[in-house]
Amino acid sequence: MADRQLTQILTQLQSSGSSLSYTDASSLLSKAKLLLLQLNALTPTAPGAASNPSLFSLARHVYEQGALASIRAKNPDAFLRYVSQLQGFYELESTVGTGSAGGRIPGADANREEKNKVTGLYLLLLLTQGQYAEFHSELEALSTRLGGGSSQGTTRELEADRYLGYPIKLERWLMEGSYDRVWKAMKKGEVPCEEYGVFSEILTYQIRSEIASSSERAYPSLPISSTKSLLFLESEGDVVEFARSRGWTLKDGHIFFPSAEAAAATEEAGAEQEKPFSQLIIENTLGYARELETIV
Amino acid sequence: MTDKDTNKKEDEMTVVVPPPKNKQSSAQPPNDADGDIAMGDDTKAGESEAQVDPVAQTISDIKSNFALLDRAVALFDARFSLRALRSISSIRKRLTPDILAQVVSETFSASSPNTQIAEHLLLAVDRPDVPLGQQPQQQQQQSSSSEMEIDSSSGSKSPAKNGGNKKEANKEVIPEIDIFLGILAQVHLYDTKQYQRGFALSRFLSERIQSLNRRTLDSLSAKVYFYFSLFAEQLAPLPPSPQSPIVSIRPILLAALRTAVLRKDIDTQASVIVLLLRNYLLTSHISQADLLVQHTQFPENAANNQVARFLYYLGRVRAIQLRYTEAHEHLTAATRKAPSSASALGFSQTATKLLLVVELLMGDIPDRATFRQPTMEATLHPYFLLVRAVRVGNLEDFETVIAQHADTFRRDGTYSLILRLRQNVIKTGIRMMSLSYSRISLRDICIRLHLGSEESAEYIVAKAIRDGVIEATLDRERGFMKSKEVGDVYATSEPAEAFHDRIRACLALHDESVKVSSPPLFFV
Repeated sequence: MADRQLTQILTQLQSSGSSLSYTDASSLLSKAKLLLLQLNALTPTAPGAASNPSLFSLARHVYEQGALASIRAKNPDAFLRYVSQLQGFYELESTVGTGSAGGRIPGADANREEKNKVTGLYLLLLLTQGQYAEFHSELEALSTRLGGGSSQGTTRELEADRYLGYPIKLERWLMEGSYDRVWKAMKKGEVPCEEYGVFSEILTYQIRSEIASSSERAYPSLPISSTKSLLFLESEGDVVEFARSRGWTLKDGHIFFPSAEAAAATEEAGAEQEKPFSQLIIENTLGYARELETIV
Repeated sequence: MTDKDTNKKEDEMTVVVPPPKNKQSSAQPPNDADGDIAMGDDTKAGESEAQVDPVAQTISDIKSNFALLDRAVALFDARFSLRALRSISSIRKRLTPDILAQVVSETFSASSPNTQIAEHLLLAVDRPDVPLGQQPQQQQQQSSSSEMEIDSSSGSKSPAKNGGNKKEANKEVIPEIDIFLGILAQVHLYDTKQYQRGFALSRFLSERIQSLNRRTLDSLSAKVYFYFSLFAEQLAPLPPSPQSPIVSIRPILLAALRTAVLRKDIDTQASVIVLLLRNYLLTSHISQADLLVQHTQFPENAANNQVARFLYYLGRVRAIQLRYTEAHEHLTAATRKAPSSASALGFSQTATKLLLVVELLMGDIPDRATFRQPTMEATLHPYFLLVRAVRVGNLEDFETVIAQHADTFRRDGTYSLILRLRQNVIKTGIRMMSLSYSRISLRDICIRLHLGSEESAEYIVAKAIRDGVIEATLDRERGFMKSKEVGDVYATSEPAEAFHDRIRACLALHDESVKVSSPPLFFV
């Protein structure tokens, strides 16, 4: 009985996915989780799930939907919770799946797509939160796990995957500094699916501040018109606003960065420091003299 | 130590038996059967050794170790068991199932309470029908010579008559001896690639060790676990896949670790921690490995080789987590601690490879001398090419090196780390540009460094400027990068500071040496 109800909820979640509000989705999800508990299939090793493969995959799908719903609602904590719950399923599933040639769990390919989607989102989340260590640990695990026995070309395979390749490429571009590619990748059509779009906002903000901080050092001045394209801003008004927020000065259609003045100021300060510096040398030399005396 | 080195080599390279080492017992060859042992005729020994039946020789060698183990138990001194373990490397090449079966049947009597173990051992070497409690007298000279061997090496016993001595041994087979035989069987099965059987035997042995609580077993049990996990690694499906048997032995190893910690069994503790780390890394469970390191304390006075391995694995974990400074520290220590003997070459090679990559990731260029060491030259060649590409900042070369040696890098497990180097290559490239041109258009930079587009080039250069890689400014309107004049270093305070640092170091050295060389006051 309960499992039919569960399937119903699941199809409801899957079909109307993005149109559901988060509160509706979460109430459905909690109902589903209760049902799972009744069926004794809440965790991958629970007797219900372990013995019944269809329940196993049902439970998995519930968690996946939960993860996607929480991403849509921009709730990273809930998402992380779902991901850690799913981790166990994924680990076990590869055992079950390949152990009997994929026979036990139907629709392995569709499963993989969902799995990659969630994993890709997880990677993206780590990336936007700046948890590079976890990002790379996860990546390392993925490349070996995906390869299974043969390690040939696994990294390329990873990159080729629509969902997994996306965060990997983004990370590389961010590290290199090719922000224009990141920007292009975030445009409509390039993003693998709508859930990924959620991160675009955070990423845009991130790269914009990165560009801004490197521009401060790199350019003596910038014309406002080209700053617009440099910072991926919509209009010149936005540029002015952004410049104000960072404390840049605007003069004759050009942006001047405070750093240039600051640099000049430090130079002056350097001149002031000249005196203590010569004093330092004298002190040092006196020190050497004293030491020499003790030695000789 | 030597046989541990051997194992290490196997870990990494999966082949090569160590160079034959002169075993101590060959200095005491079996004499005539008259029981009179003259310690002085070593010279004769060399000649007579050739005539001795190799089988008998091996058996007697094995048995000579029993005496060592006996003494280890009697005197409660781990050094004797270590000596017995050391001799494995010389015995292992001569082992055959028959020899093992014979030793087992001679050691265990049919009536002893430990027949179960003997049966397991016999089963493992595929000689299940050999009767127990065989009297060595069946093979007259051989067994008698082996008896003498025991006598001569144990020394404490007077040269008793063969039969009596034998029976006495039969009565009580100490657990150390049967575990030692177990290890020999493990070694043999591993050498003959009978992994499934070895796995089963190891499981049995580990259970037996868990049930015993004897301090004298410590170093032996460390060995058993070592081979246990080695067998697990060799069984299909091979490690990267999550259903490999290595996953299933984790609970056993963790239990062993817990027991070892409680009993302050340093040998097992060190070796099991290393095994677990290796285990996690094989299936790329980096975060688990990290947690293990966080929650365990690696014994301080562990064997040097275990420390070296531990540091290597730790360095690996840290490198993956982008904690390069720590990784560098650990790996440097690992390469320094690696035994210099030829049999451990594989370990130092692997550790050096990883160290090189980490150094590159930190933005350093490894010392060229590293690549010139005769023992390293061949294996490090791909890395040499890589370093060259990174040093010059040539992205194209870098890509070709990666493509050409991708398999090598994957095998060494450095591939994903090397992929991260791309940004370093770009940075060096930009630095080169900035040093050689006072002004260069972004377009040229883009072409020379093979970057995707001019915009990318602009962002990348801007980032490099901010990160302090180069001293330059960008001109957006005209699209070029203008390098700042490199200021005269001698006009700054830098030389004076460097000078001061050196003088201070010299003075400190002087003080230290004065302190050390001056006689203590109370002697004056």
